Amino acid sequence: MFCCVVAATVLVAGCATPPPASDSAAVAAFQQDNDPYEPFNRAMLDFNLALDKAILKPVAFVYKEGVPDPLRTNVYNFLENLRSPVIFANDLLQGEMDRAGTTLLRFGMNTTVGLLGINDFATEAGIHKHDEDFGQTLAVWEVKPGPYLVLPIFGPSNPRDGVGLIVDTLIDPVTWLAPSEYRIGRAVTRAVDRRARRYDEINDLEKNSLDFYSTVKSLYRQRRLDEIRNGAPSAISPAPGRLSGSTGQDADDQQTQGNAADK
Amino acid sequence: MARTLLSRFAGIIALILVSASPAASATPDDFVRKISDKAFTSLGAADLSDADRVERFRVLLDEAFDLKRIGRFVLGVHWRRASDEQKTEFLSLFEKFIVQAYANRFRDLTDKKLVVMQARELTDKESLVISQIEIPGQQPVNVNWKVADMQGTFKIVDVTVEGVSMSVTQRDEFAAVIRQNGGQIDGLLNALRRKTAQ
Repeated sequence: MFCCVVAATVLVAGCATPPPASDSAAVAAFQQDNDPYEPFNRAMLDFNLALDKAILKPVAFVYKEGVPDPLRTNVYNFLENLRSPVIFANDLLQGEMDRAGTTLLRFGMNTTVGLLGINDFATEAGIHKHDEDFGQTLAVWEVKPGPYLVLPIFGPSNPRDGVGLIVDTLIDPVTWLAPSEYRIGRAVTRAVDRRARRYDEINDLEKNSLDFYSTVKSLYRQRRLDEIRNGAPSAISPAPGRLSGSTGQDADDQQTQGNAADK
Repeated sequence: MARTLLSRFAGIIALILVSASPAASATPDDFVRKISDKAFTSLGAADLSDADRVERFRVLLDEAFDLKRIGRFVLGVHWRRASDEQKTEFLSLFEKFIVQAYANRFRDLTDKKLVVMQARELTDKESLVISQIEIPGQQPVNVNWKVADMQGTFKIVDVTVEGVSMSVTQRDEFAAVIRQNGGQIDGLLNALRRKTAQ
């Protein structure tokens, strides 16, 4: 049923019309934007937003207002701790041995002393958390992101990160060991928790943007780039001085950033 | 030999002069420290009314940011095509838009703290000041400030939060609005007019 909805939307919405080849500036901008499925993506965003308004947002609001802070922190810590095996595997796949060690140590500490992960004693002890996923691993392996894609339910993505989502699910021991009710419960709790923590941020964004779709696209791409770089500040960011040359993988990822037409 | 000694001596003198001069505190990181202290004390108070906060934010924004340069950057390729009237109107609308969008995000900063860590030189006229916002019970938020040195006065030209540049985000959004309006800058000006009139 759900697949039918998606397929129908693709058929109806189709692809964005590229500008005429004679208009070279417009063609360059079109390629720079790397969003050939924009009509489909916009429809998907509307679909996701409708679903959000109908279900996720109200539930997240009740969760945020009704559940006391410490309990929500316990839930969050528990969910994050469960992600450790996936983070650990991706640390290894990226050849980041130190970070893999950190993930393992955190998992060990929080699962035991932290009572199955509901307490994050590792952070309190100064062993800080980091995230990894297979989309980032592919990026480290120099796989290009491909065009922007808004997935139903999962939201902003691209082919690389979409593949990453699937592989992460396959890597995750929970997928193979836990009963399906538990897996669904975890996915739902995670969605509610994340939505609750971003409640004000999303409200601000919706209220203050001229074009919510484009803002989300820009935010998603910049955030992913930052995650791939593991938070290292990028000196090559062009904003907003003159341009400096970008090299290598960043140049591929920075579709919206390294616009040579700036000045 | 004598020359080496002499140059070393000169170096020491220069060092003493630099560290003794009062202007030594005027580094990009000190500038960000000063501005953020101001922001936290003047905007972050929990009992401040929204209208007062907006007014104070506007003053601080003009003082600390090079809005003209940021505005030029966010308009990107379209800046050169714009007429003088369009440029003037855009810059004034852009300021209103920024004030409206950001002022009230500074509501209640009482339990948060900005810690400036270091400054890194990007070019001889630009530095990146690296800082973190510490929030009790949460992961610290990485905030980087791009600061331009304009003949001794510092101005912020971009803020990056967890890898997201405010200027780049704004530029991407404005570019999309212009594209949707058939490449017309007036389309963006209209949208900004509507938004800031709310």
